Amino acid sequence: MEQEVGESLIHLGNSDGSNSSSSDPVTRVRKLLFRRMLVGIKDGRFFLGTFHCLDKQGNIILQDTIEYRSTRRSSPSPMEQRCLGLVLIPSSCQNSCHVDCSVEEQLSLLKV
Amino acid sequence: MADKPVYEEASIDGQPSKLASIPASDTTVWADASPLLQAACAGLRDGELIHGDNFNLFAAMSALEIMDPKMDSGIVCTYYSIDEAIENGAAPIPISLDSTIDVCRTIDIMDHLLACEAAWHKGHSLAQTVFSCIYLLRLDRTAPHALLHSYCRIIRATCKAVVSVVSDARTHEEEDLFTMTYGLPLNGDGDDKCLSILNAVEETISRQLRACKATSSKRRLPEDLEPLQSNPNLEEGFCKALLCRLRFRKHFFHVLSCMKRPQGRGLESARKHIASCLTELESILKSADFLRSCFDESCEGDIDDKTTASGFEPIGFDAMLNSRLSAPTPPRAIKILSWKKGVEYFVKLLHDLDVICSYSLDPHLESLLRFVVQFQKSQPDLVARSHLQLLLVQDGKLYGRDPFFAVINKAAALPEATKNHDIQKNESFLQLGMLVMNLLKILCTNAAWQRRKLGKFLQDWRVIYVQLELAFRNEYGEVSSSSNDENTCMKIFQHILLWVEEQTFWIAFRFLILGFELELYSTGEYCMVYWYLYAVLIKLAEKTHLMMAVSHDTAKRKGKKKKDSPKDLARESRIPPAVLFLQCYICLAEGLTMYLSRCLLL
Repeated sequence: MEQEVGESLIHLGNSDGSNSSSSDPVTRVRKLLFRRMLVGIKDGRFFLGTFHCLDKQGNIILQDTIEYRSTRRSSPSPMEQRCLGLVLIPSSCQNSCHVDCSVEEQLSLLKV
Repeated sequence: MADKPVYEEASIDGQPSKLASIPASDTTVWADASPLLQAACAGLRDGELIHGDNFNLFAAMSALEIMDPKMDSGIVCTYYSIDEAIENGAAPIPISLDSTIDVCRTIDIMDHLLACEAAWHKGHSLAQTVFSCIYLLRLDRTAPHALLHSYCRIIRATCKAVVSVVSDARTHEEEDLFTMTYGLPLNGDGDDKCLSILNAVEETISRQLRACKATSSKRRLPEDLEPLQSNPNLEEGFCKALLCRLRFRKHFFHVLSCMKRPQGRGLESARKHIASCLTELESILKSADFLRSCFDESCEGDIDDKTTASGFEPIGFDAMLNSRLSAPTPPRAIKILSWKKGVEYFVKLLHDLDVICSYSLDPHLESLLRFVVQFQKSQPDLVARSHLQLLLVQDGKLYGRDPFFAVINKAAALPEATKNHDIQKNESFLQLGMLVMNLLKILCTNAAWQRRKLGKFLQDWRVIYVQLELAFRNEYGEVSSSSNDENTCMKIFQHILLWVEEQTFWIAFRFLILGFELELYSTGEYCMVYWYLYAVLIKLAEKTHLMMAVSHDTAKRKGKKKKDSPKDLARESRIPPAVLFLQCYICLAEGLTMYLSRCLLL
């Protein structure tokens, strides 16, 4: 069931006119709520939490968040983590944003 | 911030390399959602949010804002981690290849650590003060540098001892940052050996000092002994500066462990170590002139603001490395006390501890209460107050020695024989014992907390009075025959009831007086406060007088068998000085009330 929903979750509808029924990005982002989301920010940290809220400016609120940070400036290095709870990540410092999804969903994303 | 972007664009399979270390679950992958989110943002109206049913705007307001310097303690600063800082040479060992500079910088580290320790005692978090020292965070690294290693070790052991005293005493309710040690390497192996390591280093340096004195008087240097550093002109000064610093740490550690001994057995030796500490602190202060003069380059800025005696910035400290561990405090830059202020703090702390150690462990509750109130007048800091509290209440006994019922028994002027009476197993008496214990604990807290607690506490004393009275009536309400034992019980009840009343008014009095110390009253309220004081004092004086009359009675009856002296009669009519003193207070309070109310009327 979830997989079916996931099929059309992420890819941008307007590039593909075939499934226009669920093409509205707002509707599809709404379906991403409560999924695990990983947000990277400019100073190199990552935040992994449950997607809680998004506003027009692109600020994201995550719940039950864990902060990941590398222990070294050089790229491959062990990560350190700590729990932060509810966090607001302003759009200005966001660098990347990923959601947790199955491989099938991933493939449909690539099709776009 | 010139950070190079760590994040790399999604690779061909949609999996950014960095994400590999944060795996999704077994069957899932990370899919890039940023284009979708961007599109959604464009589609949202102003003020519209995408959120679930459980969303609550009020709760969302309390979210931690990432990259906000006032909220986000994890912002990456100069270094990502302690190890990286060390690799970049932030805390080299040896500190310098030039042995003179190395010694000099070591002394700077010692001085800065002292200032940090004082700042910690004054209410900042351990993580941002003492443990901002990278050497301390990786103590094993310092092993080749005997001097630094021994000093860091004793610092860590001292911090541990202080944390344990304060958290045992639990006098830190409003100063709870003090005992936050989460994530800090406070528990290392072999800290029991820290004293022997320190002694060995101290021994070497004192030999070096003797040797350099010998060479200056043209005698031969013992061959096995290398000088502390390369410049013979500075050798003596450096040796002395180091010795007083090491010895201060040693004696301070002894003070802490002596004061911890049960039933105040270590107080006398603690006093000796306190005296030694104060002497060493004096020498430390004196060494500042030498340390400032040994290099030509002078440092800019006011020397009194510096955290070291020499005025140089210490090497190997980074307060931001640990700021993540200082939670739950908001991330903030803190100001370490200056070195001078740090030394002054320790002088005051040692004087406060000395006051505690010189206390005679008086078994009379009344004089003990007076002592604690007097002690609080000097506004002792948390560490000193915790030590006092630990001394007073140990294992549920006064000084770990006298059961509280015996203490109450004495305070209520009952004969010595009743202190083991079975009545103490009565629940109300057990509770009363707890109340006295809590009273002592509360009196050791800071003034603000103390007043708040005493205010609530007053109620408990009233309740216990009613309980005791009830128990008294239930048991002896309609007793007409009086066996000897029942007589004793009745007497215990009567005395203790009277005493509880006296204590209640004493607490009320203390509560009102603390308001003055804390400057809580506005000028308009003075009239009312003095009137309250007047009312409380009248009651207190009345109960005290009664109590004294009763105790006089007990004492007299003891002596009666021997002879009836005519002096007794004369003494009886006289008012005891304690009551007279209270009456002076009453007159004062009454006069001030009258005067202030007149002022208000005019």
